[in-house]
Amino acid sequence: MGRIVNLLRGSAALEVTGAFPERFLNLCAQRGVAFWDVAWPERGTLRLTVAWKDRKKLTELAERTGCIITETEAGGLPPFLVRFRRRYGLLLGLALAIGAVCWLSRFVLVIDVEGNETVPAQVILAELRREGLRPGVYGPGLALRDISNQALIRLDGLSWMTVNLHGIRAQVVVREKVARPEIVDESVLGDIVAEAPGIVTRMEVWSGDAAVAEGATVLPGDVLIRGSVKMDPPMWSENPPEWMPVRAMGRVEGRTWRILSASVPLQAEGKTYTGDEKSRWTLMILGQRVNFYQNSGIPFDRYDKISETWNLTLPGGEALPFALRRERYRAYESTTVQVDGDAARAMLEERLSARLRELLGETGEVVSENFSAMCRDGGLTVTLTAECREELGRFVPAQ
Amino acid sequence: MERNAKKDGLLARTAQALDLPGDVVGLPKVEVTGRHELRMENHRGILAYGTEEILISGGRVIYRVRGTELELKAMTAGELLITGTILAVELE
Repeated sequence: MGRIVNLLRGSAALEVTGAFPERFLNLCAQRGVAFWDVAWPERGTLRLTVAWKDRKKLTELAERTGCIITETEAGGLPPFLVRFRRRYGLLLGLALAIGAVCWLSRFVLVIDVEGNETVPAQVILAELRREGLRPGVYGPGLALRDISNQALIRLDGLSWMTVNLHGIRAQVVVREKVARPEIVDESVLGDIVAEAPGIVTRMEVWSGDAAVAEGATVLPGDVLIRGSVKMDPPMWSENPPEWMPVRAMGRVEGRTWRILSASVPLQAEGKTYTGDEKSRWTLMILGQRVNFYQNSGIPFDRYDKISETWNLTLPGGEALPFALRRERYRAYESTTVQVDGDAARAMLEERLSARLRELLGETGEVVSENFSAMCRDGGLTVTLTAECREELGRFVPAQ
Repeated sequence: MERNAKKDGLLARTAQALDLPGDVVGLPKVEVTGRHELRMENHRGILAYGTEEILISGGRVIYRVRGTELELKAMTAGELLITGTILAVELE
């Protein structure tokens, strides 16, 4: 610790020569000048080390005691800095560097988007770019409130947005809209009819009269819950029964069998790379492109373009708006290739399963499924037959 | 010097008469901790300095500290601290 303190405050090693150097030492003690590393190499000579700031006081003490002081060594930070006192170029460079850091830290280099879940950050960033907030822009010149208000109007999924500037970092905080709950308009009257053919397994009528019983087989369009309630006349009355129109409501579950099919050709256009390749390099600085290829074109008729980007990042992983980009162009020729039958079948099965789950929605479930495949007319057709348990009913307004 | 010596003698006699500790009235006090540290209060300055011998003025008395690798670690107008291996403290 003492070494660190001495290093920071600086020290000077002195040699004191005189008739009575001990008087000099005693005077130092009386004046409160701290000293250490005292050595008495010979009669009339004293060596000691003092703090850098005290060395000038000692000149007067030496005169009073008739001694001569010689500075033999200086160490620590202050003597080190004093060396640069007359190096004007270095001082100018240091001032320019500090000025550059202060000036450049006013430019936005990083934009962080926080609080979004469904609206992609890239969409928000693209909108902000359109409003003028992009990497490389001068921060104090931005009208942040106007930018966030304008972006908020254009971004439909957001309900609130603010932009905060923290030096080179722009923090964009957003809140997304909460989906409005579905409101059933009970003034619209109608029936619940079957959406798909199946066998009714469960009826739950909330409003209206059940038109079918559990276990009944229904076809698409069959009325399941009737949107009219029968009102019997009073006992012994000769009036006919009356029907009151209502909005049919309820749940009708049933077993259904769904058949879905999809086809794919077994021959497709393929690529054969010729081996010819060309690369083009681009430097991205603060959102501006610097092309190194000028106006050179691509000499291939057909090619794949492969882009690779290397971003300059901070130690924390934040990407800075400086990037090197390489675009590779690989020439190819078109050829007809035979599609792998097993791979095509697996792909179609996967797609059919996904489509089935999409049709069933969140309430339906697949009881069993069976796939069959057939090659015909140069193509592969896969058929899915599935037994499901799902909601059968669909509301249809009365005409 | 002679005046200081007379003053020290007066102080010593006063301390004796009033049954007071000598350092309270400004007489030198030497404290040796183990054999590696010597602390002195109310000294009058260093007379000679070396790694094997340090002479300290105590007014009427001169304190001769003998040892090896002696070093004056800290010194103020009234106190000093010597470190090293102390072999003897002689009074002259």
